[in-house]
Amino acid sequence: MIEVVASMARGPVFLAGEVLECLITFTNPMSHLSTSASSEVLAWASAQIHCQFHASDSRVALPAQGTKQDVQAESDTVLIPSRGERGQCVLDTPPKILFCDLRLDPGESKTYSYSEVVPTDGPPSFRGQAVKYVYKLTIGCQRVNSPIKLLRVPFRVLVLHGMPEPPFPQDEEVAPSNPFLEEEEGSRRDTRPLERALDMLMITTSRRCPYMFNITNMRGKVAKFCIFKTVYRLGEDIIGTFNFSEGDIPCLQYSVSLQSEEEVNDQYQRRPCQPVSVTGHGRHLESCLHTASSHFSLPIPLNVTPGFTTDIVSLRWRLHFEFITAREPVEAPVVLQNQSEVTVWTGAENVDVDTFSWDLPIKVLPTNPTLASYVSQFTGTNSITI
Amino acid sequence: MYFLSGWPRRLLCPLRSAERPFLIEPSSQRFYLCVLSDTQISIWFSRPSVLIVSYIESGKAAEQFGSYQQAEWKPDDTMIAVSASNGYVLLFDIIGALDEKCLYEPVYPKGSARVKVTPGYKEEQCAPALTLEMKRPVDLEAPISCLQSLQEDLLVATADGYLHMLHWDSVSNGRRTVNLCTVPFSLDLQSSRGGPCLDLDGVHIRDMEYCVTLDGFAVVFDDGRIGFITPTANRFSTDQLQGVWAADVSDGTCVAVNNKYRLMAFGCSSGSVLVYMIDSSTGSMQISHKLELSPKHYPDIWNKTGPVKMIRWAPDCSVVMVTWDCGGLSLWSVFGAHLICTLGEDFAYRSDGTKKEPLKICSMSWGVEGYHLWVISSSEAAGSPDGEQLKQAGILQFQFIKSALTVNPCTSNQEQVLLHGEDRLYLTCGDPTQGHSGGDKTSQRDGGSPLHRPAAPACLSQGLSTLLGHKHWQVVQIHSTYLESNWPIRFAAIDWSGQCVTVAGRRGFAHYSLYSRKWKLFGNVTQEQNMTVTGGLAWWKDFIVVACYNYIDQQEELRLYSKSSNLDNAFASVTKLHTDTLLLNVFRNVVIVFRADCSIGLYSIERRQDSVNPSACVELLQEVSMSRYIPHPGLVVSVTLTSVRTDTGITLKAPQQVCSSESILLNLAGQLIMLQRDRSGPQARDKDAPANQAKLPPFCPPVVLAQCVENVWTTCRNNRKKRHLTEALWLSCGEAGMKVWLPLFPRDHRKPHSFLSRRIMLPFHINIYPLTVLFEDALILGASNETMLFDGAHGSSASESLESLFPFCTVERTSQIYLHHILRQLLVRNLGEQALMLAQSCASLPYFPHVLELMVHVVLEEEATSREPIPDPLLPTVAKFVTEFPLFLQTIVHCARKTEYALWNYLFAAVGNPKDLFEECLMVQDLDTAASYLIILQNMEVPAVSRQHATLLFNTALEQGKWDLCRHMIRFLKAIGSGESETPPSTPTTQEPSSTGGFEFFRNRSISLSQSADSITGGKFNLQKTFSMPSGPSCKGGDRWCKDSDSAENLYIDVMLWRHARRLLEQVRLRDLGCFSAQLGFELIGWLCRERTRVACIDDFVTALKCLHKDFLWPFPVLPACSINSPLKNGRFRPVLSSRLLKSQSADSLLNSDMDTTPPQVSTANHTWLDGLGAVRKELDSASSHGAPQTQEAFLSPLINKGEECSIGSATDLTETSSMVDGDWTMVDENFSTLSLSQSELEHISMELANKGPHKSQVQLRYLMHVFMEAGCLEWCVVIGLILRDVSVIKQVVGFLDSPEVPEETVQSIRAGLMAVDQWASSDCLGYKPFLNLIRPQLMKLMEVPVEQVQPEAFHPTGASKLSDPPLLLLPRAEDPRCPPASSLPLEGPPGVNARPLEDTREEPEEEEALEEGTYDCTLS
Repeated sequence: MIEVVASMARGPVFLAGEVLECLITFTNPMSHLSTSASSEVLAWASAQIHCQFHASDSRVALPAQGTKQDVQAESDTVLIPSRGERGQCVLDTPPKILFCDLRLDPGESKTYSYSEVVPTDGPPSFRGQAVKYVYKLTIGCQRVNSPIKLLRVPFRVLVLHGMPEPPFPQDEEVAPSNPFLEEEEGSRRDTRPLERALDMLMITTSRRCPYMFNITNMRGKVAKFCIFKTVYRLGEDIIGTFNFSEGDIPCLQYSVSLQSEEEVNDQYQRRPCQPVSVTGHGRHLESCLHTASSHFSLPIPLNVTPGFTTDIVSLRWRLHFEFITAREPVEAPVVLQNQSEVTVWTGAENVDVDTFSWDLPIKVLPTNPTLASYVSQFTGTNSITI
Repeated sequence: MYFLSGWPRRLLCPLRSAERPFLIEPSSQRFYLCVLSDTQISIWFSRPSVLIVSYIESGKAAEQFGSYQQAEWKPDDTMIAVSASNGYVLLFDIIGALDEKCLYEPVYPKGSARVKVTPGYKEEQCAPALTLEMKRPVDLEAPISCLQSLQEDLLVATADGYLHMLHWDSVSNGRRTVNLCTVPFSLDLQSSRGGPCLDLDGVHIRDMEYCVTLDGFAVVFDDGRIGFITPTANRFSTDQLQGVWAADVSDGTCVAVNNKYRLMAFGCSSGSVLVYMIDSSTGSMQISHKLELSPKHYPDIWNKTGPVKMIRWAPDCSVVMVTWDCGGLSLWSVFGAHLICTLGEDFAYRSDGTKKEPLKICSMSWGVEGYHLWVISSSEAAGSPDGEQLKQAGILQFQFIKSALTVNPCTSNQEQVLLHGEDRLYLTCGDPTQGHSGGDKTSQRDGGSPLHRPAAPACLSQGLSTLLGHKHWQVVQIHSTYLESNWPIRFAAIDWSGQCVTVAGRRGFAHYSLYSRKWKLFGNVTQEQNMTVTGGLAWWKDFIVVACYNYIDQQEELRLYSKSSNLDNAFASVTKLHTDTLLLNVFRNVVIVFRADCSIGLYSIERRQDSVNPSACVELLQEVSMSRYIPHPGLVVSVTLTSVRTDTGITLKAPQQVCSSESILLNLAGQLIMLQRDRSGPQARDKDAPANQAKLPPFCPPVVLAQCVENVWTTCRNNRKKRHLTEALWLSCGEAGMKVWLPLFPRDHRKPHSFLSRRIMLPFHINIYPLTVLFEDALILGASNETMLFDGAHGSSASESLESLFPFCTVERTSQIYLHHILRQLLVRNLGEQALMLAQSCASLPYFPHVLELMVHVVLEEEATSREPIPDPLLPTVAKFVTEFPLFLQTIVHCARKTEYALWNYLFAAVGNPKDLFEECLMVQDLDTAASYLIILQNMEVPAVSRQHATLLFNTALEQGKWDLCRHMIRFLKAIGSGESETPPSTPTTQEPSSTGGFEFFRNRSISLSQSADSITGGKFNLQKTFSMPSGPSCKGGDRWCKDSDSAENLYIDVMLWRHARRLLEQVRLRDLGCFSAQLGFELIGWLCRERTRVACIDDFVTALKCLHKDFLWPFPVLPACSINSPLKNGRFRPVLSSRLLKSQSADSLLNSDMDTTPPQVSTANHTWLDGLGAVRKELDSASSHGAPQTQEAFLSPLINKGEECSIGSATDLTETSSMVDGDWTMVDENFSTLSLSQSELEHISMELANKGPHKSQVQLRYLMHVFMEAGCLEWCVVIGLILRDVSVIKQVVGFLDSPEVPEETVQSIRAGLMAVDQWASSDCLGYKPFLNLIRPQLMKLMEVPVEQVQPEAFHPTGASKLSDPPLLLLPRAEDPRCPPASSLPLEGPPGVNARPLEDTREEPEEEEALEEGTYDCTLS
C-alpha cells in the first residue's frame, strides 16, 4: 500500500501564466516495526495539467467528432489524464515524469515537487449553464504489472486577458551570463507573471471615472444614476449612487442585480435564437419613495468567473436594474401653516405603477489568486492509496 | 461594535413647507419616528423609510398652544405627547387603520409580469396606514423644559421648578406635582436624609432621562449642575424623592442614560461627556470615564467643539453617539473606546485640502437595532436662503454595521470576526482558527462534519500571514426572502470553523453555509412565523441552538436544529422552558442560559445516535439562582461558562481540570463576576457514577474580577504548549484598553511560591477595537473605519451631493500583536520566569521577533528620553530577558537601527558592548546581523576598529558565500578607507563610482568569456592588455584604479580576495570558486595565470576528481546494468530509444552523441525490441528471485547510492532533467502506443539519467574548463575533462603538453595523475574504465614522454581480482602499435599481459558498439 498525497501549497487558485506548484508525497504507511512490513515499489509516476470541457446537450450542439478512445489497457503505460472524465479534454500540458522505479521502505516517504506553468491560452475555470471548463492536475502512477492509478487535484484557473507577453528574461543581458550567476535569478523570475498581472489588474480597476446616467422612462425623468467605474476585480464592491430628488416621476422601489450572461455562439446553438442564460450573483433592493439620494454596494463574489470568450461560449457581466415608478408625476404638495382647520396629510394607499428595467454592461476581472483561494470549494489537496 | 458604512441616505419629505423640522424622536420599538417642526407632527416609518402621516395644526390652535417643542412616545406606541411653548402638553392618539391597510401599495398594470412573484411573499415593503388625532391639551401654565415618558405616566419638568406627573390616559388625569426645592439633595444617599442642602430656588430641570435599572432620573439643571433623583420608596412617586449631586460639575448641557450598563452620560459645555455610575454601597455619583476628543488625533478641533449638543445611546446600549454645537458625530463604545469622529480627516477636508463645513445636527435618533442613525441637520436649513420659502425637508440616514458580539455575545462568535449590517454579513476571509493546532481541534470538537476542510499544514503559516495582511471581508447578502419578511436582523452567529452563519430577525431564523454558498430557510413559512428568537442563538457542532418563543404554545423553548437536515420543526429537538431566556451560550457540550428570573440554567447536549436524521437531546443539568446578586435581569450583558478558575487550594486531577465547566462568568453591567464550582464539598466520591448522572458541585458565591468590561474571551480549547494564552481570560475594557487575567504556572513542577497568587490581571493598551482574540496566535483581530473620498469625481455643480459632503466609509480588518505588553508587565512585576515561559511558548510565531523588538524599543524610548532619572530602570531586565532567545543579537541591532543615534549609548550600556555582540554574531555565523552591528560600530567607534571588524566579517562572508554581503563589505571597506583621514565615514549603502566601474568590467569580462569558447584564445591577450590585469601579487593596483587614494584599500581588498581564491582552490572547491568569481567579479583567469604553477597545481588527481563529483552533484559513472548481464545481445535499438528519450541532453554526452548519428530504425525495430523487452523482464524477474550474483551487486552500488541521496532537492533535479525529454516522451507514446516500458527499460533510463549530473553543473564545469584552459592550468582541464568524459578535452590538453612552454612538472603531474585515476577507477569506480579506455591513445602518447621512475606496484589494480575485470580486458582491443612494448605500462594491469593499444581513433565507433553490446570477451584470461 502506498499513500499518495498531492498538495498545492499556494492554494487551489491560479492565474493563467503562473507557475503551479504541487508537492506530491508518496508514503509507505506501514510502520517499520510491523511484522508484515515490506518495501513497496512504484514503477513510475507522472503528472499533467488538463482542462476538461463539458457542454450541455440541450444547449450546445458540438460538431460531430470521432469517438475518442479513452479506454486504457491494463498493461499500458500510456497516461491519459482525462480517462473516465466527462466531456473532452481541451487542453493539456506535456506530462512530466516524477520518477521511475521508486522503492519505499516501511515508514519511508518521499516528496516530489511538480511545477508547471498554467497555460495562458486556455479558458478560465467555469461552471455555467451551457458549458463547463474544469481544470485538474492528474497524477498517474503505476505499479509494475498493475493498471495505472490516477490522482486528480482539481484547481481553479483565472484568466487575465490582455496580459502583455513576458519580456525576454534579462533583456538587458543578451549574452548568456556566467553559469554561476543564474542561481538566484531563476527563482525570482517565477513570481514575475503574477506580479505583472496584479499590477495590471490594479491599474485597470483602480481607475475611477464617474459615469452619469439619467434614468428616464416615457413619462419623464426618474433619477440620476452615477457609477464610479465599470471595471472591477473579483471581491470588489460595485458602488453606485442614485439621486431621485431631480426626478419628475416618483420611484417606489429599485433593485440592482449583478448578473452574468452566458451566450453560446451562433454556430453552436442547439436551437435557433436560443436565449442567453442569465445568472444572478447578488441583488440590492431598496424602497426609495421618499428618498432623495441613496447608494448601493454589491459585492462581486470571489468564486464567480470573470468575463471571457471562447469559440463556443462567451460570458459577460452586467448590472440589471429594475425600477417601479408611479404612473403619474407627483408634484410635492404644499403644506401651509395657519389654516383655519387642522390638516392631516396621509400617504396614498395605492399607487399605480409601471415597471421598467435597464442593463449596464460591466467588466469583471480576476483578482489575486491567493485571495480567491480562501473561498474556493477546492482544497488543493487530494490523496489516494494504491 | 459599530462602524459607519457607505454614505448616508437622504430622505426627503414629500411635503413642501415653510417650517423646518428640528426634532426626531423614535417610538419605543423604533419602528416609527416622530418628526417635529413648529406646528407640524410627522410620523415616518423605518422600513420603508416613508412618511406615513403629517398633522398640521390649525392657525388658531397654534396661536394658543405656541410652537411645538418636544415629543415623547407612549411605550406602547399608541400616543405621542408634544410639549408646546405656551406651557401645554398635547396628547395625540395614533390610530391605525382597522384592516391593517398599507400605504403606497403598488398597483401593477394588468398583465404585468410582476404579479406572479412567489405567493406569500411581498417583495415590496409597505408602511402601515396611521392617522393622528389630538386629545385634550393639558395646560401646565409654565414653559415646559423637559418631557419624559414612563410606563404609565408622563413626567414633565417645567421652567418654574416643578415636576408634573401626568397619566397617559388623560381621562383619569389625576396629576401630581412636586417642587424641586423640596427634594433633598446631597453627595450620597446616606447623608441625604437631613433635608435639602442645596439651593434650588429658581432652578429648573433642563434635561432629564429615566433609567429603569437605576430607578431614577438623571437630571441636568439649567444652571449646569447635574444630579440623580430617585424615589425613596419602591414605586416612583413624586412625594418621596431624594437626589444626589455630582460634585464640581456646573456646565452640564444634556444627559442620556444607558439602561443596560447603568450609566449616565452628561454632556458639558466644555465639549466633554462625563459618564457617571452610581456607587452601589453609598449611592453617590461616581465618574466612570470621560468621552473627550484627544488633542493628538484631533489637533485642530478637540477644544473647539463647543458644548455637547446631544447624546444618544444605541438601542443595544453598546455604543453612544455624541454631537456638539459645532456639529459632527462621534461614536464611542460603552466604556469610552473612541470609534468614529466626523470632525477630522476625510470628513472634514476635501481631497484638495480645503475644509468642509461640518454637519450641524439639530436632532438625531437611532433606528431599529442601531442599523441607522436618523439625523436632522440644521446646517441645511441655514445654508439655503433661496427665494423659495417652501422646501421639502431632508433627513439623513447614516448606516452602520455592527459586531455580532454586541447583541449575541456567545462563545461561538468569538473565534471569528462577524459583523452584520442591515442586509448583509461581513466575515473574515479565510480561516484563522485553522492556523493553529488544526488537527487536534477538529478532532476534539467535531468529527461529523463533512465540510470541515482538511487543512494542509504547509500552507497554514503562510495562510495566516496573508490573512493578516489583507483587509478583505467576505460579504454575504442575507437572503432577500427572509430579510423582507423578517427585517430587522437581530442576532447573528457564526460557527467555530467560520463556515456557517445563522441570522435571526423578527421571526424565525435562517442559516448559510459558506461552503455551498446556500441559504437554508424554513420550508414551512408558518413555522418560521410562529417562533421568534428571544435569547440569542449559537452553534453547537452541526446544530443551531436557539432560545425562542413559540407563539402557538405560548411557550419559551430551547430548540436545536441540525444544519444538514431541512429547516423544519420536525427535525428539531425542543425543550420547554418555564421562563424567558435572555442570554444563551455554549461551552463544549453544555448550554448555559440566563433567564429573566435571574437564574442560570445549565443543559447538556448530546448527539442522538439512534435516529436517521441528526438530532440531539437536551437535559437539564443544574440551575443556579442569581437573584441575590443581580438587581435587574436586563443588566446582564453576557454569560459564559469557562474552565478558567482561580486557585481554591484544592488540586484537581488534570483531566478533570481540563474538561469540566468550572466557572460561570457573568458580565453584570460591565462588572465581570465569576462563580466557581465549590469543590470543597464531598463530591469527589461521586466520580464513580456515570458522568452525566453525577451531581454537579454547587457554585461558590460570586467574585468580582474586573470593572468596565465590554467583552470577554475565553476558549474551551486547551493547548498544553500555550497554556498561558489559552487558559487566560481576555477582557476588553473600552477606554482602558484590554486586560488579561493570566494564569501563573510553577516552573518544572516545583512547588509554587506561597506569595505567588495563581493568576494575575494585567492591563495593556492596544490601538484597535478588539473583536476577536486568537489565543494561540497571540493576536487580536479588530476592525476600523476607513474612508474614501469621491468628491473629486463630480463637477462643482454637484457640490451638494452626498458624495461630496461625506466620504464613503468602509470597514477594514486590523490586527495587533500584544505579547510585548504582557511580557513587559510581567517583567515589571518580577515575574521574569513566567514571562520566559510565555515567550518561549510563542517563539515559533512568525512575528515573535517583532514582539521582542517592540518590547526593547518601547522601554528604551521611554527610559532613555525620560527627564528624571529612573530609579529602577527596566531596560537591563528586558535586555537580560531577550538574551534568553536566539534572536537576541538580531533584536538588539534591529532595535538600535530603528532608534536615534542619541539613544544608542543608553541601549548598549544595558545590553553590552556592540563589539562583543558583533563577535558573538560571527561566532554563531549570523553574518547579516553582524553586518548590522558593523553600522553601529562604525558610528560608535574609531575607523580602525570598524575596519578591523569589517575585515573579519568580510572574510567570514567570503567563506560562507554570502555574496551580497561580500559586495557590501567591499564597498564598506572602501568607504572607510577613503574617508579615514578627513571626512566622516560615508554610509556604506552609497556606492563609489570607481568601484562600480571596476565590478562592471569584471562582469563583462566573465560574460564575454562564456560567450563562445572559440573566441577565447583570440580575446585573451586583448583583454588582458586592455584592462592591464595585474600579473602577480607584487603588482601595484595603482594603475588599475584611477584614484590613488583608493589604491591602498583596493590592494588590501585584492589581497583578501586572492587569499580566499587560493584557499578555495587548495581545498578543491571549484564550485565555490566559480560562484565567488562570478558574484564578486573576481578576475579568475588573470589570477589563475599567476597561480598556474603554485596553487593551481593538483597534487592528488583522484581526490580532486572525487571532490568535483561531490561538489557538482555529479554521479560517478556506472556501467549500464544491461550491458553486463546482457539479455539484449542484439539490442541495438535500445540506444535508439534512449537517445531519443534523452535527446536534449545528449549533445555533450559522448556515448549518445555518437549514437545520434545512427538512423532511428524505429519501424522495423518494433518487434525485436518488444521481444527483447519481454526477455529482459523475465530475466530480471528470475534474477531477482534467485538472488543476484555478486558481480552485479558491485556494479549496481553506485546507482543505489544515487537513490539514497534522493532528497527533495535531487528529486527536483531529476524532474527537471526528465522534463526535457517530455516532447519525445509523447512522441514515443504516439508511435508505440501499444508498448509499455518494462522495469528494465525504466532502469536503463534512470541509469542514463544517473550517469549525468544536473544540466547546470555541466554548464558550470564546461565554463570552468574554458577558464582553466585559458589560464593554462592544464591539470585542472584534465580533471574536468575526466569528469565530463570529454575526449576532445583530453586530446587538446595532451596536445598542449608538447608545447615547450609547458613546464616539465606539469607534464609529469598530469601523467602521474592520470595513472592514479586509472588505478583508482580500476579498483573503486569501474564506471570510469570505458572512458579511460577511450582516451588510451592520449595516455599512450603521454607515456612516450620520458617518465621518471614510477613504482609499478602502485598501479596494480588491487580490486581487479574481485571483479570479472572487464575494463582490463578491454585493453587488448585497444592496441597501439606505436606504443613501445618495452615501456612498463602501468595501465595494463597484470604484469606480463601484452597490451594491444588502440590502432586508430577510427575505431571508436566499434569500440562503442563493443561497449554497448557488453561483449567484454575475456580472450586474454
